[in-house]
Amino acid sequence: MGWDEKQVRGYSEFVRTAQSYHGRPIFVLFCGDKDADGVSWCPDCVKAEPVVRKELHNMPDGSVFIYCLVGDRPYWKDPNNEFRKNLKLTGVPTLLKYGTPQKLVEEECFKADLVRMLFTED
Amino acid sequence: QEAAKYNKKVMVLDFVKPTPLGSSWGLGGTCVNVGCIPKKLMHQAALLGQALEDSRKFGWQLTEEVKHNWLTMTESVQNYIGSLNWGYRVALREKSVAYENAYGEFVGPHTVKATNKRGAEKLYTAERFLIATGERPRYLGIPGDKEYCISSDDLFSLPYCPGKTLVVGASYVALECAGFLAGLGLDVTVMVRSILLRGFDQDMANKIGDYMEGHGISFIRQFVPIKVEQIEEGTPGRLKVTAKSTNGSETIEGEYNTVLLAIGRDACTRTIGLDKVGVKINEKTGKIPVNDEEQTNVPHVYAIGDILEDKLELTPVAIQAGRLLVQRLYAGATRKCDYVNVPTTVFTPLEYGACGYSEEAAAETFGEENIEVYHSNFWPLEWTVPGRDNNKCYAKVICNLQDNERVIGFHVLGPNAGEITQGFAAAMKCGLTKEQLDTTIGIHPVCAEIFTTLTVTKRSGASILQAGC
Repeated sequence: MGWDEKQVRGYSEFVRTAQSYHGRPIFVLFCGDKDADGVSWCPDCVKAEPVVRKELHNMPDGSVFIYCLVGDRPYWKDPNNEFRKNLKLTGVPTLLKYGTPQKLVEEECFKADLVRMLFTED
Repeated sequence: QEAAKYNKKVMVLDFVKPTPLGSSWGLGGTCVNVGCIPKKLMHQAALLGQALEDSRKFGWQLTEEVKHNWLTMTESVQNYIGSLNWGYRVALREKSVAYENAYGEFVGPHTVKATNKRGAEKLYTAERFLIATGERPRYLGIPGDKEYCISSDDLFSLPYCPGKTLVVGASYVALECAGFLAGLGLDVTVMVRSILLRGFDQDMANKIGDYMEGHGISFIRQFVPIKVEQIEEGTPGRLKVTAKSTNGSETIEGEYNTVLLAIGRDACTRTIGLDKVGVKINEKTGKIPVNDEEQTNVPHVYAIGDILEDKLELTPVAIQAGRLLVQRLYAGATRKCDYVNVPTTVFTPLEYGACGYSEEAAAETFGEENIEVYHSNFWPLEWTVPGRDNNKCYAKVICNLQDNERVIGFHVLGPNAGEITQGFAAAMKCGLTKEQLDTTIGIHPVCAEIFTTLTVTKRSGASILQAGC
């Protein structure tokens, strides 16, 4: 069956999308917006994305991978943005298993074995 | 993690055999999953309920009746525990500690077999082994116990409110659970075979029991259950408990939604192949005797935690013993774990903090004529306005008359007992004497200051009833 990827931008689109996949394992990578050349303002996100993508095949069958752009840098830095307030995100990149306390934050996302552990952990 | 710091190749085998009702949990051991952590959080939930009631007298206007939702609380608690489980997984991985969710058992002197939940087996060899398998709740061995009763292993993740509960036991587990369940508004009865809090200062134990009884918790004393039957299935269902008196032939029956067994915990040492490596255990209790360096009778096998014979069953003791052991083995350190004057706290509705000797143990060790017991009731300021019990909180120190009135026992019954006790434990480690206590100026207005103004001795028989500040 494999897995599906969905790309979203902003909090409302993220919530709608996550809810639509209710019942399937959902993994989310939150990154800073990308510019016209496809480069994110967040250098750590640039570093983490290929590491995460390389491990996606380890997700359980039927999983959904949501790639979520959170917004521009000023939005992200605002301590009251919806991602910080509602999802309790503390940094980008954040890779998490939706609906569980399992997540990897910032430099943890650079480590392939931690990413693999997140995708394969029961 | 400590051993990995010294570049040792380390593996952790952790496996939780599900309870009879199917409960299980993640990495972290008893404390994190089914002990201290969820217990304290639920105790806090109960305290907050009390605080909401008190708040009215302080001017807060609660317009609706305040009710408690078990599922909301349990979900929050389990979520936090889940983040701890995950945190440990990440920490082990980052420190290159190999981890397997598999049941480990010795098959030879240096070989362990690890069986995962699917039954797949792997063999591992190592130079040294550390056993820290802990304990699990004991069952009564009566009809219906495993089918219908729950234990603390099930309580903290119970997917439905337990309702009217019978708690069987008089250990701190029993009393703490009974305490917070009642604090959340449930109808709670405690069935006690003989005394409360065996091993603890009995004067304090009885005060704890009296307080709980005065706050709506029923106690059935000197009875043991002999049969548990199901009247109706459900979540919770209805159970009928038949109990027999411990002196006489009287039997009683009662109906409850939930029966929580908290009659003791047994060491998980009987099915891990200790015979294959030659580690001796106490056949009766299952506990492992070790020397003062946590070494078993087999030189390359060590043990820490609740499974040790004659040692305190406390998380910080196990952690300290483990860290120091590794430092001795791999970092040339010599410090051994100090098991003397270890402070503890029982999180019953009226909390109890203690460090050092109980009154009975002090009298037995030093002779009653050689100890002086100073004591006093106290009334927390925060309890005055809402009109909560005066003369229920209590402070006691036991001093050795033959050693400069050295403080050898510290006991406090009152709110935040754990926070109060921690500092005094450090003082006792420094050799605190009654004079030093007396010359310490109190902080006002706090509960702990009572310890700086203790004058009445038990020996004098003088009254300790309080009137106010």
